[in-house]
Amino acid sequence: MSRKNKNADEMFDRRMFLAAGAGGLVWAGLVARFFQLQFLDAERYQGLAEANHVKLVMAPPERGQILDRFGRPLASQRQAGRVSVIPEQMKNPADVLNRISDLISLPEARRERLLEDIRNARRRNAAFLPVIVAQELTFEEFSRMQVHAVEMEGVDVQMASTRSYPRGRDFGHVLGYVARASGEDLDRLTTGLAPEDQRIYQEMFRHPDMRTGRQGMERFAEDWLRGRPGRRRVVANAHGRPLWELTQDPKQAAVPGKDLYITIDAELQRIAIDRFEGESGAAVVIDIENGDVLAMVSTPAFDPNGFVNGISGSDYALLRDDPRSPLYPRAHGGVYPPGSTFKMVVATAALEAGVIKPEDHIRCPGHYRFGNRTWHCWKRPGHGAMNMHNAIKQSCDVYFYEIARRAGVEKIAEVSRKFGFGHTWVLGMTGARGGLVPDPAWKQKARGEPWFEGETLNFGIGQGQLGTTPLQLALMTARIAATGAPIRPRMIGLGPNDEDDALLDEPLDPAIMERMKAGMFGVTSEGGGTAYRSGDLGLGGPRLAGKTGTAQVRRITTAERATGVRGGDAIARELRDHALFVAYAPADNPKYAISVIVEHGEGGSRTAAPVARDILAAAIRMNSGRAPSFSRRADNTATPETGDPA
Amino acid sequence: MSRDGFTGFTRGEARTRTASDSLQFAGAGGALSQIARLPWGVILVITAMSLTGAAMLFSTAWDPVNQMPSPHEADLWRNHLIRFGIAFGLMIVLALTPLKVWAALAFPGYLATVVLLILVDQFGSMGGGAQRWLNIGGVLVQPSEFAKLAITIALARYYQTALNTTNNVPGFQVHIGALVIILIPAALVFKQPDLGTTLALVCSGCVMIFFAGLSMRIILPVIALGIAAVPAVYLFVLEPYQRERVDTFLSGLTGNATNGLGESYQIEQAKIAIGAGGLSGRGYLQGIQSQQDYVPEQHTDFILTVIAEEFGFIGAVALLSAFAFLLVWSFLAAMRCRSWFGRLAICGAASTIAFFAIFNISMVIGLLPVVGMPLPFISYGGTALLTVMACFGVILSAHLHRDEKLNIRGLF
Repeated sequence: MSRKNKNADEMFDRRMFLAAGAGGLVWAGLVARFFQLQFLDAERYQGLAEANHVKLVMAPPERGQILDRFGRPLASQRQAGRVSVIPEQMKNPADVLNRISDLISLPEARRERLLEDIRNARRRNAAFLPVIVAQELTFEEFSRMQVHAVEMEGVDVQMASTRSYPRGRDFGHVLGYVARASGEDLDRLTTGLAPEDQRIYQEMFRHPDMRTGRQGMERFAEDWLRGRPGRRRVVANAHGRPLWELTQDPKQAAVPGKDLYITIDAELQRIAIDRFEGESGAAVVIDIENGDVLAMVSTPAFDPNGFVNGISGSDYALLRDDPRSPLYPRAHGGVYPPGSTFKMVVATAALEAGVIKPEDHIRCPGHYRFGNRTWHCWKRPGHGAMNMHNAIKQSCDVYFYEIARRAGVEKIAEVSRKFGFGHTWVLGMTGARGGLVPDPAWKQKARGEPWFEGETLNFGIGQGQLGTTPLQLALMTARIAATGAPIRPRMIGLGPNDEDDALLDEPLDPAIMERMKAGMFGVTSEGGGTAYRSGDLGLGGPRLAGKTGTAQVRRITTAERATGVRGGDAIARELRDHALFVAYAPADNPKYAISVIVEHGEGGSRTAAPVARDILAAAIRMNSGRAPSFSRRADNTATPETGDPA
Repeated sequence: MSRDGFTGFTRGEARTRTASDSLQFAGAGGALSQIARLPWGVILVITAMSLTGAAMLFSTAWDPVNQMPSPHEADLWRNHLIRFGIAFGLMIVLALTPLKVWAALAFPGYLATVVLLILVDQFGSMGGGAQRWLNIGGVLVQPSEFAKLAITIALARYYQTALNTTNNVPGFQVHIGALVIILIPAALVFKQPDLGTTLALVCSGCVMIFFAGLSMRIILPVIALGIAAVPAVYLFVLEPYQRERVDTFLSGLTGNATNGLGESYQIEQAKIAIGAGGLSGRGYLQGIQSQQDYVPEQHTDFILTVIAEEFGFIGAVALLSAFAFLLVWSFLAAMRCRSWFGRLAICGAASTIAFFAIFNISMVIGLLPVVGMPLPFISYGGTALLTVMACFGVILSAHLHRDEKLNIRGLF
């Protein structure tokens, strides 16, 4: 072995040790770094890891119930079976949906839409968020799905909280409904909030269980019913998917919404709506003693349950395009000419103005000439000499043409407002309208024309421009029946204060009111009264007092008057007059006031009065006005709290 | 002759064994007896590390909610095991290959690799912004992985001739040829671009030149020059995305930011995972960061974070020790080789594995910028596992045939 070669060998060994030494240094450096991370800084990194994976997720509040005056639930939260799929856990979504459709009803169109939703979720990198396949499962469906869900990947069957309206269409117009918050809803709910609260609202309403009041009392009392969202501590992975729950901080729990009591008697409401037997119309029953609205009926009605999980376009179109307008809240949003039911207001105006005495007679020849025009009485041969009592009892138009002309439009308008006409009574609902009490100032402003005295004559019999709602007519009746005592109409028994709805306390002379009551009693209980047949409540004693009315849907032409065509089968149904009836009962000790309108019912006495009679009889029989289950004290001390989330 | 007290044996003693071994080698039962002579302790360590890799892949696939591996990740650990089985077979075959065969294949293999790299440059398919894959008859291959082995064997072959002819510590001019052998494929890989592999190629190549005896009077100035050239490389050579990584790394080193946002998210989450492991770890399948997917690429380049979180400092040091054991054993094996080819092949292959490990670990614990570099034996990835096992096959072969003298003259 040469020395040179040995040199190379030595060099190699030397360098080997050099490299081993360098490697040892690197090794020690790496170990030192691990020591730093895992020993010296371990606590800090453990804290960071905890903070990383513990997330506070939104816990939606349970929405408060809506109950009737006796505590019967009208809107409540119900646990219902729900099937959802988690896109990221499915290899073949179409296959999974097909298998689900073997177990529960899942139409082809719905399946296609779901597949699209799943594709979108994947595209948005949100494939861990559940996509809802079906809700409101029946018990059988739910148990079937529960049994088979384990065999399918990515299928989740659970109970979820949904809004439910156990009385369906009975309260559609009063309660409205809830729905998933739309962008518009969010804008409305978050205006004026601090940016941080706006973010919380947006997060809260994204939750699949969260709904917001879209219409009616649900919308009006949104803050009262909603409650405050809480936070749940969960472990979530890097993609934000919650993995499991941690122990919860009670201070962070969601605060459920408050229950809302309304003054309506759900049984009376049901009887009233049934009594219409499918006719279009409205009825409002008010407790004369305290102004509680006991029934608020508008028919036909819709079932709010259909809106909770989003109504389909075709179902909504069906409701919207229905010629009988089931979405139209007639009781508080329907504006009709009151017809002869308005005559007590005109009589009150004339007596207050002193332009006539109750015993003064006015002769009715069946028509009334003013200027160069002729106004007709409903009774063509005429009533003959009429005093006030008989004029109300027989609803003589000529008498009221005359006293309206004498009292003047301004006086009638003023008295109308004292009875609550022209005011929008919200009472916690949406869609309320105020109607119109016409006067010269209004006409000048709206039409740019002066008031013609001839219009005062129409005003005198409740026709013309005058527009009233069934709710206003019931209030008018209640004030008469209460002999002019103040009335505070209300429908929210225990809930948020309604500042819009004022006390109806403009002074009315009790003596005049007694005369009106006598007239209304005559209508139903004296010979010649227009609703003589409907005066007996069928309860073996108490009677009702009322007033009929007919609201013209179209002007009667001279030709028609000449040929005697005034209604019946001779003209199309939608052109026939509306039948109205206002009443109170018992006649001798008034407790309940009612107004009824039957659209295209033609004669107040023939169609509206029996409806009113039966509803009043039911109210008396069931004692609907008895003390409600929410206490008055609670009502007075309840502070208006808002549902602002913390 | 005994000049090596440390290793406990001398080259002389080794040579005395040669005659009898050579006789056995010629026999019919040669292959079996050679298998018996393989260093099974070392192979056991490799197997244990690969099985640890599979266990860690099982952990990354674990779904902590359903208490079972999530279906779309369940294949990871199975694939790893299957690939390890295949690579293990390859390693044994390579280990039994005589040095003569290696030497004969060295330059043709090198040329083929260069051709493949050129083909990648021309026809390769893109993946992750880089052109690394080549489709050969339906199989996707990554020629840059072959390059690691090819350069090692070619360099060893080159020096076998160069050192045997001079029979001395070679002069400076000999190493220029070696540098050319390294730089041609390295430049092609860099062009893909694949910074991590380029670094590994150049580093292990340079280590071989170092072991081949390049004078310290040249090495030290070159290192100094290299350090001085860093800013220029940063400004003119690096691609923007590579520069960004360096920036991120530097800001992480200086600012010590744990904001969890932006470019440094991955490295921050990795550090949190490692740190959260503490001394003894959170326990298998119990890691917070690992089980909840907070560390991106945790089944490939960042699999160390899972080990460190679930088995803690103890697990990390055990892993480092396993690598150290393999390296030290390889160096000892190199010193026992008679041929320069065997020595340098071991040095090249071992340093390739060592650089993989060092770069990967340093990157994961935030000591180096993030470059794509798997953790040998453990990271998921078929090509990388195959390369590493093939490297070890070369080491085992050189060890097994340490007494072959390889009297080759000329380059071919």
